[in-house]
Amino acid sequence: MAEKARLLVAAAAFALLAAGPGLAAPPKTGPAWAELSADHQQILDPLKDSWEQITPERRRNWIGVAKRYPKMTPVEQKRVQMRMKRWAALTPEQRKQARENYRRISKVPPDKRGDLKQQWSEYQALPPQERQGAAPPKKKPAPAK
Amino acid sequence: MNELHFAHRIRQLLNHGARLDGPVAERLRAAREQALERRRVPAAAGPALAGNVAGRLEFAGWSLRVIVPLAALSVAFVATYNWEQKQRAKEVEELDALVLTGDLPIDAYLDRGFEAWLKKRASL
Repeated sequence: MAEKARLLVAAAAFALLAAGPGLAAPPKTGPAWAELSADHQQILDPLKDSWEQITPERRRNWIGVAKRYPKMTPVEQKRVQMRMKRWAALTPEQRKQARENYRRISKVPPDKRGDLKQQWSEYQALPPQERQGAAPPKKKPAPAK
Repeated sequence: MNELHFAHRIRQLLNHGARLDGPVAERLRAAREQALERRRVPAAAGPALAGNVAGRLEFAGWSLRVIVPLAALSVAFVATYNWEQKQRAKEVEELDALVLTGDLPIDAYLDRGFEAWLKKRASL
């Protein structure tokens, strides 16, 4: 009985210690470039030089993207290769904004929004005043780094 | 009839034997008390041990009754938090993959006006 109680105390103390800082905080270091698999290194090659500057959380995110990569179509894979560097260079706020916009745009029914690429060309062809007029009255996005 | 008488006689004898007084009763009483006295020692040890254990159910002045549920609660909290973080990370990863592979260039999603313009057009 006393032994059991002591065990319980130890378990409780251990749980508190382990649960507190150990599990709550994400690991401080992400995988180093050298730790990536050869496949992932090849896919994420555009990020090779900036990998050290990428936060651990973002690194894991990129590894997640690399895992999805083989399932993408060749066109999609090419797009990823082309956009990777720019996407990584954006500020977290910009990426957040872009994700939010993506979500909003994808909510517009496809039959109403038409061909997105075409719409984007049309929008870009608009005079700057008209484009700015469409924007909600808020601060302009900060220029990409 | 003889049988009944015999039974009656046995009853009388038994009753007589059961009537204890004098030294026999005294000795029986002493024996009983002695037995009780011996019994009391292990019986007293029971509660004493329990008290001891209750005393040990403490950790740095906190009762285990507080610590154990608290620990369980914190473990549950941390597990939930971790799970949510993981879900959020997965969601972000999915959106990133979609933005990276989508028809539109990244600039289209960075532009604040395009989305509003597109919506306005779609509602026309």
